[in-house]
Amino acid sequence: MTATTTQLAAPAIRRPRTVLVGTMFASGAALMAYFGVLAVYVSERAAARDAGEEWFPEGVIELGPSGWIFWTLVLAAFTVQWAVQAIRNDDRPNAYIALALTGMFGAAVFNQLWFIINDTGFALAGTQGQFLFFVMTGTYIVFLIGAVVFLALTTMRALFGQFGPSQDDGVAAAAMFWHAVSIMYWVTWIAIFVTK
Amino acid sequence: MTMTEAPPSEAAESSAAPLPAVGGLYDWLTTSDHKAIGRIWLRFGALSLLFFSVIGVLVSFERLDADAIDVFGGVNSYFQMWSLYRFGIVLMVAIPLFVGLATIIAPMQVGSTNIAFPRAALAAAWGYVLGSLITVISVLAGGGWGALDGVSGDEADAIRLTLLGTGMVMVSIILGTICIVTTVVSLRTSGMGLTKVPLFAWSMLVAGSVWVLTLPVAIANIAVLYIDLSGGAGLFVGAPNPSFDLYAQLAWILDQPAVYAAAVPVLGIAGSVIPVVAKGRQVSHEAMMILLGLAGLLAIGGWSQPFFGDERDTLVYIAFGVAAMVPVLASLGGNSATLVSGEAPVGIPPAHMIGVLGSMLLFLAATAAGALRVIDPLDLIGTTADTGVLNLVAVAAILGSLGGWWFWAPKTDGRLFSGIQGLGAMILLLLGGVLLGATDVIAGFVDTPDVLLASADDSLGDAMIVLSMIGSIVVLLGVLGALGAITLAYVKPGEAGDDPWGGHTLEWATATPPPAGNFAEPPARVRSEAPLLDETPGDEGGES
Repeated sequence: MTATTTQLAAPAIRRPRTVLVGTMFASGAALMAYFGVLAVYVSERAAARDAGEEWFPEGVIELGPSGWIFWTLVLAAFTVQWAVQAIRNDDRPNAYIALALTGMFGAAVFNQLWFIINDTGFALAGTQGQFLFFVMTGTYIVFLIGAVVFLALTTMRALFGQFGPSQDDGVAAAAMFWHAVSIMYWVTWIAIFVTK
Repeated sequence: MTMTEAPPSEAAESSAAPLPAVGGLYDWLTTSDHKAIGRIWLRFGALSLLFFSVIGVLVSFERLDADAIDVFGGVNSYFQMWSLYRFGIVLMVAIPLFVGLATIIAPMQVGSTNIAFPRAALAAAWGYVLGSLITVISVLAGGGWGALDGVSGDEADAIRLTLLGTGMVMVSIILGTICIVTTVVSLRTSGMGLTKVPLFAWSMLVAGSVWVLTLPVAIANIAVLYIDLSGGAGLFVGAPNPSFDLYAQLAWILDQPAVYAAAVPVLGIAGSVIPVVAKGRQVSHEAMMILLGLAGLLAIGGWSQPFFGDERDTLVYIAFGVAAMVPVLASLGGNSATLVSGEAPVGIPPAHMIGVLGSMLLFLAATAAGALRVIDPLDLIGTTADTGVLNLVAVAAILGSLGGWWFWAPKTDGRLFSGIQGLGAMILLLLGGVLLGATDVIAGFVDTPDVLLASADDSLGDAMIVLSMIGSIVVLLGVLGALGAITLAYVKPGEAGDDPWGGHTLEWATATPPPAGNFAEPPARVRSEAPLLDETPGDEGGES
């Protein structure tokens, strides 16, 4: 495919970077899909409350574990930016450490979410609230896995010597998608775990 | 992704090297040439157009007298075909035709050698083909978007498959669109600031952004409904008997304001075609860009879905409904001014001119009907006026994309399509579109219900439904004429020349058919929105 890839070269001009722009639109689409589900959740909860129905039994959803996810993602936001900055400075050891740490935080978030799902004891075919809780957390896990895979691919490309001070698009794009997935959770945390 | 990684010097040296010829299935499955990828969208879109036009005629025929005529074999089958037509004509015909045209033309218009992320664009094209086939086959197997009269277990499985297919088509559209909009944002040639982007490419940036932000909301709805149908308690879809509710939860993308997004590129195609026909510059390029942006803004509709309650009597819905007419009307005015201020075509008008002007008129009619529909005392919502607006938008989009295809045929297919046959097809589509859409809107005034399961209780309503069916037949004839002319151009190809119309934008600086890499050498620095009208290229002016 070498011949093909060289034919596809962009004109010799500095424009907003292609991978970054593409990821920006993809992140926008992902956010809209996620907030589409969240909006259904919030509107159905409001309708249930207006009808005087109980959404979740008191005390089933605890703030503590979900708060840990919140702060883990805050830490991960710093580590992923650390990776971007390290690549820009051509500091590869720091970039590897930062990418590995971010991936580890992603795994920790997944683990904590799984704990929360099991801890609640909800059933998919239960009440409307329980069903939508499953849909919300399930959708979030899908996007989280997507962000971790994107990050893992970026890490592998970095390990194979790609990216550098003049070419940090891939890492910056992975970081952008990571931030989008973090935003999803932070909004969810307020909408589901704090306001219940 | 590899494209931006190649150093500029390497790019310049290799830009004229040929890509492998696209011939066998392997080539079609692995090509990274944006022209070949666009042709997948266009050809399957054309086949889908024929299929859904036939379905449209059959649905209209059964609608004449639902008690006496039974084309599909039962009330559920009728509802499945009725809803298949509506989803299909928008998601599998109108939008894909624009995506196909833009996949080929937009990179050349902005002076790029290829589309951004060509492999993702290829995956999107085949995802669209596969998703459409899954959707249609699952509906024929008893699926669809719910049922009016209860379903069996097998049919519930088929319904899940329909949801999967629809979601796949939407994801493909989003992916293909991301490639197009990224090309317009990132791969513009030297000197082409955003204000100098040709109007078709700009319209794809606007409409594409709206699709990228709106369709995911519909995918989220599909995910909720799919999970509810599969393992949930049937809270939203009435499982185990999915009802009309399932269709209603998703129908907001076929309703105003969201459905208008499917026709926004019509304004861009007209903005690219009319100045060439008039042999002059667009009267106000920047104003047209603003109007296109406004049209896109007023087509954002994820907020009006039934999950959030009935939004259709709110002030925002009414304001969106009425305001949507403004940019379309102003855009038509701008193009008319361009046409009047330039040289009027002598003799028989070219097919592409009639196509794009007709599509703008239909789009204007759709927004005007939409503006009437949101006026509460007229009580049009839930009547055939819903279908009327949808059909006006759909035929506007089809006519606009066919007009654009006729115009850009030398670049999309390497040949000219017959002008006379094209003209006949465009006129038929315009007349058919008016008959099909306007009559349903008029029938709405006498409260003819949208999902017709019995004859209308009014002679005017009955008459309009007959006229609407005649309109669907005229549309089918127009589609057959257009597809026949395209097929004939392949049987008897004529010499097209590199620039048969005297085009203004960079796609006309390429050879016919455009070679791999599009341009033999990088385009000169762009100084205006019509680079080929600028006499001497230079470095002064223009944004970078």
